[in-house]
Amino acid sequence: MNYDPPTPAERVVARKRWIRCLVFLLVILAAAYYLIFINQYVVAYKDNVDHFKYGSIGSEPANGFPILVFKALPVMFRDELGPTGYRRFGMLYETEQSELPVGMSRRIITGVERVWLNCAICHVGTYRISLNDRPTYLYGAPANNLRLFDLLKFFLMVSRDPRFTADNLIDTINSPAVGGHLNVIDRLIYRYIVFPRVQTALQHLAQQVSFISRQADWGPGRVDTFNPYKAIQFNFPMDAAHITDAELNGSSDFPSIWQQRPRDGMHLHWDGNNTSVDERNLSAALGAGVTPVTVDIAAIHRIRRWIWTLAAPAFPVPSAIDQSKVERGRQLFATYCAGCHGMKNAAGQYDYDTNRYPRLGQIESLDAIGTDRDRWASYTQNFSAAQNTLYAGYPWRFTHFSKTGGYANQPLDGIWARSPYLHNGSVPTLRDLLEPSACNAGSACRPAKWYRGGDILDTAKVGYRSDGYGYDVKDLFLYDTSVAGNSNRGHEGKAYGTELPSADKDAIVEYMKTL
Amino acid sequence: MPQAADATFLHEDNAALIFSPLKFRHLEVKNRLFRSNLSGMFDEYNGYGGNTRLNWEEKFAKGGVGCIISSYTPVAVRGRILVRYAMIDNDDKIPFWREIGKRVHQHDCRFIMQLSHSGRQQDMGGIENLFKVAQSSTNQTDFFHGILARAMTVSEIHEVVEQFAQGARRARAAGLDGVELHGANGYLITQFLSSGINDRTDDYGGPVENRARFALEIVRAIRREVGPDFHLQMKINGVDHNNWLYPWKKKGNTLEDTLIICKMLLDDGKGVDSFHISSGSTFPHPRNPPGEISARALTRWYGGMLASGVRTRFNYAIFKNPIGGPLFQWLWRTRRGKIIEGINAEYARYLRSAISKIDPSIKFLCTGGFQHASNIAGVIRNGSCDAVSMARPLIANNDLPQILRTANGPVKQKECTYCNKCLVNDLANPLGCYEVSRYDGDTFEEKWDNLVKSVMSVYQPTLFR
Repeated sequence: MNYDPPTPAERVVARKRWIRCLVFLLVILAAAYYLIFINQYVVAYKDNVDHFKYGSIGSEPANGFPILVFKALPVMFRDELGPTGYRRFGMLYETEQSELPVGMSRRIITGVERVWLNCAICHVGTYRISLNDRPTYLYGAPANNLRLFDLLKFFLMVSRDPRFTADNLIDTINSPAVGGHLNVIDRLIYRYIVFPRVQTALQHLAQQVSFISRQADWGPGRVDTFNPYKAIQFNFPMDAAHITDAELNGSSDFPSIWQQRPRDGMHLHWDGNNTSVDERNLSAALGAGVTPVTVDIAAIHRIRRWIWTLAAPAFPVPSAIDQSKVERGRQLFATYCAGCHGMKNAAGQYDYDTNRYPRLGQIESLDAIGTDRDRWASYTQNFSAAQNTLYAGYPWRFTHFSKTGGYANQPLDGIWARSPYLHNGSVPTLRDLLEPSACNAGSACRPAKWYRGGDILDTAKVGYRSDGYGYDVKDLFLYDTSVAGNSNRGHEGKAYGTELPSADKDAIVEYMKTL
Repeated sequence: MPQAADATFLHEDNAALIFSPLKFRHLEVKNRLFRSNLSGMFDEYNGYGGNTRLNWEEKFAKGGVGCIISSYTPVAVRGRILVRYAMIDNDDKIPFWREIGKRVHQHDCRFIMQLSHSGRQQDMGGIENLFKVAQSSTNQTDFFHGILARAMTVSEIHEVVEQFAQGARRARAAGLDGVELHGANGYLITQFLSSGINDRTDDYGGPVENRARFALEIVRAIRREVGPDFHLQMKINGVDHNNWLYPWKKKGNTLEDTLIICKMLLDDGKGVDSFHISSGSTFPHPRNPPGEISARALTRWYGGMLASGVRTRFNYAIFKNPIGGPLFQWLWRTRRGKIIEGINAEYARYLRSAISKIDPSIKFLCTGGFQHASNIAGVIRNGSCDAVSMARPLIANNDLPQILRTANGPVKQKECTYCNKCLVNDLANPLGCYEVSRYDGDTFEEKWDNLVKSVMSVYQPTLFR
């Protein structure tokens, strides 16, 4: 028998208290659920450059690694990567203590910190003038060091490697090299949730991009823009029955992304398939691992505002410009080049006026320009149509993509910082570009095989040094122009200045240093 | 003290000891069983006693106790503790108290009046005190209910001393058998005696001799009024245990302090005639009355005190909280300790052995959970005290003295369980035993009906028939 029962009023009060408690608990749970499992957390950067370097654009939710897994992989596979870890792929760590390289961002999703790529991974380059210089970072320049092909192959290797197990992963994370202190709950999460998801994702990726085994190595500073895109975004069949070798070998250089305002309306991408900077930005973001539902549109817009007016860098060694030749070079440039590329006006500012330079931003037919056709071939009609379905449901849905008949002419602002040259980066320096591609005995020609991947600038010929100077050639990439997609033909002939006397060619190069 | 029967002595031996008379210097009591200070809100708001109070006191005289010590009787309205308790603040109260004495004496039971002043422990001061701040030794607010206090000036102290003296005079004039000074359990005299409360820097505060000055002045003033042959006893804390609720508070007087005070109050044989040993510098206190505390009962009946202090709302929130209430109950139990019956016996023993060496005619009463003959006889036998006072066990069984003649205690179901629900209910309801399990009945409703009958029995016989 209960000797101390509640009075009728006390019963009602107690019941109301229970209900209040329950409601309060539910509200707390809902808030906690929202804050942990729905809300995402990023690092906000005050400075636009920092945001560009490390800010998240929304690639982590669909494609990011948990940061501890990302940091563990080079330790687990030290034999393959060596002691420098991801630096082997040309990723730029600002200091020895930097946790992530430039071009990688972090985002906390469902309580787990994940990392993945942003725009800066492909659009920050470096240069050195002398061997002992520390590399100078160029924000917005093509990532001349980045070996994306090798990075992709590394992840594919991890997906197949028997050493990639939950036990090894957890042990590596807990080791001092990574320094993650996984408690007993974390270990369970990593064993039963994180590891299986990472492995599944990597295996899925390996299966999607299995075609890369049929591709020529992209090399440092280059990317096969659209074939992975076809597989990952649209699940296009990529086997030999559906994709020709020509379509498969369209690797091209990363571009610079400064001065976008004057470019809006010009034909963008090497083959000019889109005239909208905004669409081009969002399309490129997909290449960084963003998806239409995970894109951080505000972050993208912030970068867009920054690159809209980002100034092209000036030639770093003004004393290396032979001023006596610049005027002659300017006249020659105005005659031979400006019609398609624009040039600087009398006030010293780059003139993008397509009324004055009517071929600027326009597409040159393949036959006219004569450069390697594989990049053009890799962008197909079907793919273009499929692209125009992307971001459906959002105001920024794609509508401008189209298949073109050739390659587009670009402004040459900051051209000194954009080597190697031609869409497929087949010509190392500006001076080389002014020579013909065919090598006849006695006359100069463009180099058929040369080293790329270094960042030491040749201030005379303008472009990264291609002779292997300052490097162990084992660490460089031997670019072979005879490999499919790598041809250095095109953009040559009388109209392109390759038949001018040598002194004139020198002058043009001197002038181009000032652009 | 063991609660089981002490096998060395037969019940007959215990009963013989318990029912042997006790001689004080100026008082003789027929047995060793005193009813301790106990009453309910039975009187008029203005301090006049009534029919119900007469019924209440007579109940216990009929039950067989040797002497009744009254509930606290305020010597001034300013010193009221709860409303609707009779006072001795004016000569016009004498006729009522005379009637009490007559009723009680009919059963060969003595009656000692406890002279009281609340000081700052004024639980329900009533409308007369609504706009006054309570008088005390200190300006410190009480830490339990947050009742505000103002330190008395020396002339106010003299005034209150005189109020006690006049109260004693009136008690003698009413034909009562003696007076007790309410110097224990946190009321005004404790507020001066205790090092945990008294923070004065004048002659009435500081070392123990100064702190005892107030009580000594009262003793002397009473003697001046009633003479040397009227029984005067002092109720005093063996140990204060002032820090029971908030451990950072000062812990108050030790047993050694109390001994010094007792010696002073003997006043070379001119002072008090006996001591009544309790403990706890607040009321209630986990040690006094020792037992449990019911958070549910507090939630129901503490509301009447909400206007009295600044911490009452906080306390109430704790009592009614589903976690705070049980936590408070647990704290109460923990601070009390394991012993209930005879909780103060060791204090009484220490004091009695020291004082009897000085003056063997001084007798000692001890209070604290006594209910069983073996324990009562035990503490008398081992020199802890000369008699015991009981309160709650007598509410549970008014005729406990009859029971103890032939049994060690009441049957198990009827024993006082020390639940203290009587105490908490007293704030709003008629004082009685509110422990449902003690009552007969097969259902809760039956038991509750019997409980109500028992509690309401104090109103019988009615005044008009």
